[in-house]
Amino acid sequence: MTQVIFTFLNGITLAGLYFLVASGLTLIFGLMRVINLAHGAFYLLAGYVSWTIADKTHNWLYGALVGSLTLGVFGTLVYVLLLRKFQYEELRVALITLGVSLVLAQAMLAIFGGEYYQTNIPKQLSHAIPIPGIQLSYPFFRIFVLILAILVAAGLWIFISKTRYGAIIRAGVDDTDMVSALGINVQAVFIWIFFLGSLLVGFAGAVGATTNSFGMGSDGDYLLFSLQVVIIGGLGSIGGVAIGSFLVGVIGQFAVGYFPTYAGIITFTMLILVLAFRPQGILGRRE
Amino acid sequence: MTRTRILLASVIGFALVFPYVTPDPDFWVSSGGSRALWLGVTALSMSFLNRNLGLMSLGQLFFAGVTGYIVAISSVYHQVKFGVSVPLAILAGTLSGVIIGYIALKTKGVYFFMLTLAVTLGLYSFANQAQEITHGHTGINSIPSPIIAGVDFSNTKSLYYLFLAIAVALFVVCKFLESTSFGIALKGVRDNEDRMISLGYRTMPLKMIAFVFSSLIASISGVMGVFYVTNISPDSVGLLRSIDLLVIVVVGGATYLGGAFVGAALIAVFEAIIQDYTQYYVAATGVLFIVVLMLAPQGLMGITAQIRTYRANKAGAS
Repeated sequence: MTQVIFTFLNGITLAGLYFLVASGLTLIFGLMRVINLAHGAFYLLAGYVSWTIADKTHNWLYGALVGSLTLGVFGTLVYVLLLRKFQYEELRVALITLGVSLVLAQAMLAIFGGEYYQTNIPKQLSHAIPIPGIQLSYPFFRIFVLILAILVAAGLWIFISKTRYGAIIRAGVDDTDMVSALGINVQAVFIWIFFLGSLLVGFAGAVGATTNSFGMGSDGDYLLFSLQVVIIGGLGSIGGVAIGSFLVGVIGQFAVGYFPTYAGIITFTMLILVLAFRPQGILGRRE
Repeated sequence: MTRTRILLASVIGFALVFPYVTPDPDFWVSSGGSRALWLGVTALSMSFLNRNLGLMSLGQLFFAGVTGYIVAISSVYHQVKFGVSVPLAILAGTLSGVIIGYIALKTKGVYFFMLTLAVTLGLYSFANQAQEITHGHTGINSIPSPIIAGVDFSNTKSLYYLFLAIAVALFVVCKFLESTSFGIALKGVRDNEDRMISLGYRTMPLKMIAFVFSSLIASISGVMGVFYVTNISPDSVGLLRSIDLLVIVVVGGATYLGGAFVGAALIAVFEAIIQDYTQYYVAATGVLFIVVLMLAPQGLMGITAQIRTYRANKAGAS
C-alpha cells in the first residue's frame, strides 16, 4: 500500500512537470498552428541556463527567472527570423524547428559536455512533509511543482478565456484579416504568444532541472513526453494537456515501478489505444 | 523520358565503377558509398510515402530499428543463422508497419508527422530501458558479417556491391509500383481523398498497402545498417538519427524518388569531409538543413524546376 501511494505521488507530481513542459507547446500550436519540435531542446537549454545562474548566485529564483526570460527571448527570435515567413506551412515549420534543435543540441554539448547536472532545491522548500495515513514523508518540492502546474493551468485558462487580451488572441487566430482591420496589430499578438509559450517551456526547464537530473539526450526525452502528452490529450487544448500529463505521468510511474523493462511499451500501448478510438486525442478538435 | 533514362543509366554506371575510380578507396567505398546506399534506402522508404501519399513519416527508423535489433540479438546471443534471422526480422519489421499504419493513417499532415516521430522516440526509450533485452545504451556490438555463397561481406567492396544491388532493385520496384493502377490510385488519394471515396475507392486499404510496403523497405535498410555499422544501440533510432534522415530526404528533394539517394550521397560526403575541419558537423548539417528548407524546399532535385518557375515569373512580370 505504501508503495502504491508513493508511486502515485511520484506520478502525479511528475504529471505536474509534464504539464508545465507541454503547455507551451500546445499553447503555441493551439493559437497559431505552429508546432515547435525544438521544444525538447528549449527545455534542455533552460535547464542549463537556470542551473548556471542558480549555481553562481546560490539563488534558485534568479536561475528560474533568467532561464524563463532567456528562452522567451530566444523563442521569439527563432519565430521572427526563421518561422514567421512560413507560418501557414505547418510541416515546413515543423521541419525547420527540428533543424534548430539539431544545432542547439550540438551547441549545448560543446558548452556543457556530456555530464549530468541537477539544480539544488531552494532551502525553504527542501524539507519533507509527512503523508497522512502512512509512516512516510514526501519531498515538499515535488508537491510544490504540482501546485505550480495547477496555478499555471488556472492562469492560462483565465488569461485566454476571460480577459480582453485572450479574446484578441482567439480572434486573431480565427480571422487574422478581420482583426487587423479593427486596428489590432496581429503580428505583435503572434510574437507575444510565441514569447509566452517559450517563457513557459523555459520555466518548465528551470523546475525540471531541480526535480530531475538533466544532460545530453534530455532534449529527446522531454520532446517525447511532450508529444505523448499532447497526442493523448489532444493538440491545442490546455485541458487536454492536463489529462494527457496525468495519464502519462501516473501510468508511466506505475509502469516504471512495477514492470521496469516494459515501461516504454506500456505507455506506448496507452497512446495507441487512445488513438485507435480518438485519432484527434481525448479533448482534441477534429480538423 | 529518355533523358531521365540516360541520366539514371549513367548514375548507375558511375556507381558500378565508383570503387575503382575513387581516391582513397579504403575510406570512400565504405564511408561514402556503402553509407550513402544504406541511408539512401531508409530515405527511399520515406520519399515513397511522401511522394505517393503526401505523408512525411519519421516512423521508418522504428521499422529499421525493430528489424536491426532482432537480427543483432538473435545472431549475437542465440547464434541464429542469418539465413533464418534476416527474413524473419524483415517480416517482423514489416508486420509492425501494419499496427503503426492502422493507427497513424487515421491522421494527416503535421499530426501524422508527430505521431510517427513519437513512435520512433518510443523505441529509443524502450531500447534504453529494457537492459535485459537490448543491453541499454551500450547496445549490441561486434555483429558478425554475413557470408553468402562463399562471398565474405566483411570486405568493403563486396558489401558495397551488395548494397548497390539492393538499392537499385528497391528503386526499380518503387518506380514499377508507381506506374501500376495501384500507384495511380495512390496519387488520387494524395491529391483528393474525398473525391476518391466518392468514386468508389476504399482508400484505407490503399494507404495501408503503401505504408506497409514502405515499412518493408525500411526493414531491409535496418538489416543493411546492422551489417554496415556492425553494432546497434538506442542512438541508432534516436532523435539525432531521425533528424539526419529527414535532412537527407529534404535536401535531396522529398517529392522525388531519386532525391533519397542524391541527399544520402550528399550528406555522406558532406559529413565525411566536414569532420576533418570541425567537430561540430552535426550543427553544420542542421544549418544546411534550415537553409535548404528556407530557400529551396523542393531540395536539390527540384532546384531546376524552381529556377524555371522563378524565371517564368520574372519574365511574366516584366
